[in-house]
Amino acid sequence: MARALPFIGAGLLAIGLFAFPFLAGQNSYYIHLVQMMAIYAILILGLDIVVGYTGQVSLGHAGLFGIGAYGAAVIFHHFGMGVWPGLLVGVIVTGIFGAVLAVPALRVIGPYLAMVTLAFGTIIQIVINEWTGLTNGPLGVTLPPPRVVDFADWRSFWQSTLGLKAAEFQRLEFYYLCVLLMLVAILVVNRVVRSQYGRAFEALRDSPIACDCMGVSVYRYKVYAFVVSAALAGLAGALFSWSERYVSPNTYNFELSILFLLAVILGGRKSRAGPLIGAFIIVYLPNVLSDIELVRIMAGMIAAAALVALGIIALRSREKLVRALPPVILCLAFLPLTLNVNNVTDYRLTIFGLMILFVVFYLPDGVMGFLREVFPVLKPRHVTAAQPAVASAIFADRGLADAKTLLRVESVVMQFGGLKALDSVKLAIAPGTIHGLIGPNGSGKSTMMNVLTGIYRPTAGAVYLSQHRIDGLTPSEIAGKGIARTFQNVQLFGEMTAIENVLVGLHHTFRSTLMDAVLRTPRRAREEAEARARAMAILDFMGLGQFAGTEARNLPYGKQRMLEIARALALDPSLLLLDEPAAGLSAPDIAELVEIIRKIRGHGITLILIEHHMDVVMGLCDTVSVLDFGQKIAEGPPAKVQNDPRVIEAYLGGTVAEAAE
Amino acid sequence: MMKIRTFGAVAALALALTTGAFAAEPIKIGLSGPFTGGSSSMGVSMRDGVKLAVEEVNKAGGVLGRPLQLIERDDEAKNELGAQIAQELINKEKVVATLGFINTGVALAAQRFYQEAEIPVINNVATGTVITNQFKKPDYDTNYVFRTSAYDSIQAGMMAEEAVKGRGYKKIAILADSTNYGQLGREDLEKALEKLGVKPVAVEKFNIKDVDMTAQLLRAKEAGAEALLCYGIGPELAQIANGRAKLGWNVPMITSWPSSMQSFIDIAGANGNGVMMPQTFIEDKTLPKRAAFLEAYYKTFGVTKIPTPVAGAQGYDSVLLLAAAIKQAGSTDGPAIRAALEDLKEKVEGVVTTYEKPFSETDHNAISANIPVFGMVKDGKIVYARGEDAKNSGVVRKKEKATN
Amino acid sequence: MDWISTLLQAPTTSIFWQLVASGVAVGMIYATIAFGYQLTFATSKTLNFGQGEALMLGAMLGLTLLPYLGYWLMLPVILIFGMAQGAVVERLGVRPAIETKSEFGWIMATIALGIIFRNMAENIWGRDDLKFPSPLPETAIELGTVRILPAEIMVVVGALLMMAAVETFNRRSIYGKAFVATSNDIDAAGLMGIDTRRVITMSYAMSSMTAAFAGVLVAPVTLTGATMGAVLALKAFAVAIIGGLDSALGAIVGGILLGVIETLTGYYVSTGYKDVPGLILVLIVLAIRPAGLFGRRTIKKV
Repeated sequence: MARALPFIGAGLLAIGLFAFPFLAGQNSYYIHLVQMMAIYAILILGLDIVVGYTGQVSLGHAGLFGIGAYGAAVIFHHFGMGVWPGLLVGVIVTGIFGAVLAVPALRVIGPYLAMVTLAFGTIIQIVINEWTGLTNGPLGVTLPPPRVVDFADWRSFWQSTLGLKAAEFQRLEFYYLCVLLMLVAILVVNRVVRSQYGRAFEALRDSPIACDCMGVSVYRYKVYAFVVSAALAGLAGALFSWSERYVSPNTYNFELSILFLLAVILGGRKSRAGPLIGAFIIVYLPNVLSDIELVRIMAGMIAAAALVALGIIALRSREKLVRALPPVILCLAFLPLTLNVNNVTDYRLTIFGLMILFVVFYLPDGVMGFLREVFPVLKPRHVTAAQPAVASAIFADRGLADAKTLLRVESVVMQFGGLKALDSVKLAIAPGTIHGLIGPNGSGKSTMMNVLTGIYRPTAGAVYLSQHRIDGLTPSEIAGKGIARTFQNVQLFGEMTAIENVLVGLHHTFRSTLMDAVLRTPRRAREEAEARARAMAILDFMGLGQFAGTEARNLPYGKQRMLEIARALALDPSLLLLDEPAAGLSAPDIAELVEIIRKIRGHGITLILIEHHMDVVMGLCDTVSVLDFGQKIAEGPPAKVQNDPRVIEAYLGGTVAEAAE
Repeated sequence: MMKIRTFGAVAALALALTTGAFAAEPIKIGLSGPFTGGSSSMGVSMRDGVKLAVEEVNKAGGVLGRPLQLIERDDEAKNELGAQIAQELINKEKVVATLGFINTGVALAAQRFYQEAEIPVINNVATGTVITNQFKKPDYDTNYVFRTSAYDSIQAGMMAEEAVKGRGYKKIAILADSTNYGQLGREDLEKALEKLGVKPVAVEKFNIKDVDMTAQLLRAKEAGAEALLCYGIGPELAQIANGRAKLGWNVPMITSWPSSMQSFIDIAGANGNGVMMPQTFIEDKTLPKRAAFLEAYYKTFGVTKIPTPVAGAQGYDSVLLLAAAIKQAGSTDGPAIRAALEDLKEKVEGVVTTYEKPFSETDHNAISANIPVFGMVKDGKIVYARGEDAKNSGVVRKKEKATN
Repeated sequence: MDWISTLLQAPTTSIFWQLVASGVAVGMIYATIAFGYQLTFATSKTLNFGQGEALMLGAMLGLTLLPYLGYWLMLPVILIFGMAQGAVVERLGVRPAIETKSEFGWIMATIALGIIFRNMAENIWGRDDLKFPSPLPETAIELGTVRILPAEIMVVVGALLMMAAVETFNRRSIYGKAFVATSNDIDAAGLMGIDTRRVITMSYAMSSMTAAFAGVLVAPVTLTGATMGAVLALKAFAVAIIGGLDSALGAIVGGILLGVIETLTGYYVSTGYKDVPGLILVLIVLAIRPAGLFGRRTIKKV
């Protein structure tokens, strides 16, 4: 039942949208309203990819929308081309601009990103306004009624089969085009976010660094996200152009971007229904709020819905009931208030603002988030593994084990301002060994990890992975070359399940493209199935099989650490860097960890282990290097290093002589 | 949807009954304008003028024995909202006609719905020359778009003529805002100047809410301009007047009508003195009709001045014209009202002018070039710029000939 | 490309300096508002998108009180009002959003409050832009060949004084130190017994206070009306970002940079494209320094 729900929902939506013009008595006002909702929904579905999935703020989507709209309008204005070329141009040109927008947006986060997108949107608006030769400037472009299909060929079909006059159907054809494209957009977005692309989007939101270190380039996938999002915005814009039949530059302003953002958040992020609800709200609410009778009806419906919700909550838990009371009372109080007001025009925006505040307070995850809370059946299904684990396929042999030295670090210096975190450190790691890296806090161990994985670019020196120089490469390139890592403070993709976390690590096994994902080709299906089987095997290997469908943030701490190793293993590493894997683990967990590390080495994977638990280090490592104040002070087999006076000094402070006293 | 509509109808009926004004079904008239945001000062004055006229018509027994009922919608000066409102008014509210549009862009985006639905729409503030030409013959058999404001080419013509012929300037700079109002006006100004054989020495733009006009003014000054022709709305025109004073550049300024807005007068203060603008209406009580209108307006809305007198007056007149047309048509049928407007038999005494056959089949502009006069800012008031206009203020300027 | 050669010769002309002077005045208007963004960002990593409305409320209320209190007595009232307004914004909009861990909640809440304030102001003070009388003479004074309004000089001086006052407060008073501590590391500050929630409320109060003061300060130069804040707040946002969200110096430099570039572009290139180079500057600055010109760059630590 729960599995079928999305299909039932989609089916009902499709039927409802198809039948709507007839239900609405062919009233073109209502038809146009739904048409506008469909157009906005396309854009908001795309915006949700950027906002909901990759977690980036965009205040530039009105600009992208404008590019799409003008794409269609300009080719009509100059070349007389109709709807279809318009849509094509709108999608392609806007997609390209999406990539352009992504470039400055790559390195910045938070408010800085908001400003970049805002600046972009504003520049677009100004250029549209000023480039009169192309866009006809502030005067705008007027378009004729859209013609979607040539009715001469089809007239007999409409008349005989549907009993409609061609003229009647002509009025509706554009409506049907819009809702059809909206359904297609839902399908496309759905497929993209459930593919490895969607996983990459979510991963880069939850932890960009871990994402890069899993070989999934944050830059690249941000660009993908912006391009997909922009293409949908362009499609919406082109449709908007032909729907309104008049475009002028002042429409595509900052306020519209804000409105789109509101729609995503009000509707609920990371869902297909959310954008539809959001589109409904931003299109219909202004109309409702300008008509006092409709406001009263709406207030009545809100009060009724609040009572129903209250009833459901009351049945479930008393504690929640107390918390639910204030919003319900507010909802109920809204009705008598509206009955006392006679003119709503002047206070329309105040009501709008209050409603937004209400949503922020009481429905922080939007309407859809709230519905999911009340009706858990609506929660998104995490696809659970349909494939059985295939144990033999866990590790692929990278064929690097022949080299004498797998990793060579040559006199690496890492300088932050005046501080030398690493000072001419040399390391040579033999293949198939476990190499310990120890030292007091602040001695440069983690800095070394970050240098090895490309998060820091060393100030001087070089790093070779079996003859290939890797310093200066990006983290994702280095990950691609076979160095995987875990993090001192766990960097899992919290909102993704355990198996999805591992699947991000398996990203490198996919060859299918975005188009494969959209069209759901056999190639993609096969790759997905293989990856899932392998992910399951890795989880079993790590003893996490039973947690496959649990969101990472909900795992116990010990399991989170294991999951990080599982995710790193998915990368097929020849070298695995573990940064304090035993930190915070209980004794039985540590024993399990030691076992697993041995098993990993047994598969021919070389490990570098940073650890403070000396028994773990001493029990596991073949060689240990000791860092202190950025310098390597000792190296050798564990027993030897343990007794090195310089090491004791570094750990205990003072001189050996003092320690002996 | 049916349910909502029935409920709406019931509620409307209940409302009508409780207010107890009329038993007859009201005639619904749409009203679309910006009542919030940047250009709402004009929108609200227009709305209040319209309301005042509707109230008076209803007090006098309504039209065809039925009261007029306004359906107000705030288009926020947004084109797409204007288009949506147009469809709501036509298809949901079933209005008989619509008044309004402050912004040329909104008019252009929205009025095609009225044209298609064959419902007359009277623009009472928007001035873009193209507005009444959008559905002109021969492309369209009939045109449902009318206007009671002085369109741009009239205003631009007056401005150019005053600068070139009236005062003999040859070096003229144009400053226009970057919206389509300003840019359409700029085009008309350039055309008007060309007719007089003058090419502007500088053509500059400014944005709504621009704080600083130094760059634009310096460019004009460096180009040697002797006079500024400005197309914009009150606040920004005031910023130009102030910027001019700041630079110590005492250059005459002739603007489009919105420098008569209260905001211009307030913000420009002494710097606004002497600024001239074409006006269809000046707050002046010489004519009894105007005096009555102004007093009623001040009393009803509790103000001592109309924020944007021109918008208020044109809004007021648009109701009277529409009421007369419905009366003459004897029905609320769109085409009949249109036909009546195009051949209005009754002489309608408005506050801008007395309308005798204001429209014809080919001319949908009630204002001709001879009606507007030049107003001038003088110590916080708009006065007649020319002595003879002031002397003749008691004489109604009637429409002469079709010019557009 | 003749504008390039004119621009190259420009600094010798008096027009250039006139443009720079006007640009500086406009830029300082932006800077005062940008400064308010920084205050809240420092403590809570949130911005008040209703900053423009806080400015507008300060200006409008100031205008209303002016006839009763006179200019100088009105100022403290406005400051107190600004603080109260900021505290309300924080308590109503920001705190619940932070507590529910809603990533975008505070953006929406501050925008919503901004919409409400603007709509209320339209209904209270009307829709017209009004005149805010300057306490100084309204005729321009001549400095060499450059003409500048006394009110513009007051904006520059007032803005600098205001920033200096806030910075002094932060460095000298115990509250200020709590403020700085919270900006540096909110968790550590919390562990040291600082009530960081109160510090955040304080930062919003101070931010709106500066905005209200800025409103009174700039109103004689700009337009004064319910919608006066919108455009200014956007420009100021750009300024705050160019300068970096944690540097008062950045706000001043960013503001002057943007203001001067706007006027110079307007004169030497085209008045239509006046705003574009400033925005491109934003993009360039962020491409090179992702945290703004004076922003603190953090080293990634994992």
